[in-house]
Amino acid sequence: MDFRPMTETERKTLVSALRGNAQDGLAVLMDRQTTSFLGTAEEVPDEEVINAIRSVPSHY
Amino acid sequence: MPPTRYDSEIDGEGGTIRVPDAKAGRLKPAFFQAAKTFWPEEESPSIGFRELLNELGFALRRKVATRVETRQISAPLAPLRKVVLGDEVSRVLLAEYAAHQMSERGTEETGWVLLGVRRADEAIVLATIPAGTGRVADEGHVKFDSDVQAFASRVVRQGHKQLTMLGVVHTHPGSLRHPSSGDYRGDIRWVANQKGQQGVFGIGTVDATPDGKAGISWNPAPNVQCLGKLCFSWYVLGAGDRNYRPLAVELSIGPDLGSCLRPIWNELETHAARLNRLAQRLNGVTFEIVPGQQQPTLTMTVPIGEDDKAIRVEMEGKAVRYRLLTPDGTLAADFHEDRVDVGVYLMLSELAAR
Repeated sequence: MDFRPMTETERKTLVSALRGNAQDGLAVLMDRQTTSFLGTAEEVPDEEVINAIRSVPSHY
Repeated sequence: MPPTRYDSEIDGEGGTIRVPDAKAGRLKPAFFQAAKTFWPEEESPSIGFRELLNELGFALRRKVATRVETRQISAPLAPLRKVVLGDEVSRVLLAEYAAHQMSERGTEETGWVLLGVRRADEAIVLATIPAGTGRVADEGHVKFDSDVQAFASRVVRQGHKQLTMLGVVHTHPGSLRHPSSGDYRGDIRWVANQKGQQGVFGIGTVDATPDGKAGISWNPAPNVQCLGKLCFSWYVLGAGDRNYRPLAVELSIGPDLGSCLRPIWNELETHAARLNRLAQRLNGVTFEIVPGQQQPTLTMTVPIGEDDKAIRVEMEGKAVRYRLLTPDGTLAADFHEDRVDVGVYLMLSELAAR
């Protein structure tokens, strides 16, 4: 087994993914062959975006 | 010129807004500049004296919006420090703003909603959706056509479900490069319900002094991007903020995923409400923009769950055509119905009877 230190970018991405999983229930994606970390599923529901658009107030 | 008063369409509260042509009687009061230290001296915006008094009066009376009831969608993200525009996004905003200025409605305010992704402390804008021709606007306010924009977002996000609502750009006919007090009253409620409880806000003005570099944009301040006379100034507002914060703007190579909608925008506006309802009620509905018989065509495909069959509706100009897609080929439906949802349900009914 080979270990290496994570780069700063990898560390930030992983921490962000774990936080998203813990707080928002976002899926943490895993490489099915190596089981390494691939990223997160950050899909935003249609209705969330549509509600945001419909609630945009008048601007002056 | 006296200030103009408009009624908010959202909360019903009236609001004294700004002088429509703020170029009359320009002033650069020292105290205003001290309050807005983020503008460098050479690019300090000029506004009318009455406008200035109105804005300062509202700012002094403004209370921290701690009583706004919020609906927490997700945990707060890091405070935004910059907005990144895809280069095509920037080009579209500037080009459509210039075209708007030249149009019959050029004296009105207009705007766009911005879709994109949030990354740590930055917002990356990847799609713009225009206010729509059905917007309600004049020289002092703009209310976007949200029905059309909602449907447009559905089309844009089909292959990009990570896109979220980031904020709003709107224009000012005068030279006020900052959201007004009327903007604040609506936006402070709106951002409380957005992801990260923050929103990106752009203000478009036509008051820049061209620096002679034809065709090249420049940034007179970190939050300001200008091209010719056109100028976009960027801000962020978070829930509970007493005022907007200048937001640094950067350009990056990237698309405007909403630009594909422009060639079929008329069809989109004509059918948006009915298509939106169909997308909500039927599973697996997809939309495409394809080459048509004479012009780009908006198509909708509705899978009917048997033998890989599907109903396809083609909307090209004023024509609406219905097809039945089968593994053996495409069959044209021989009937005329401009109401797309009615036409789809007629076809489903016909197919169910067979």
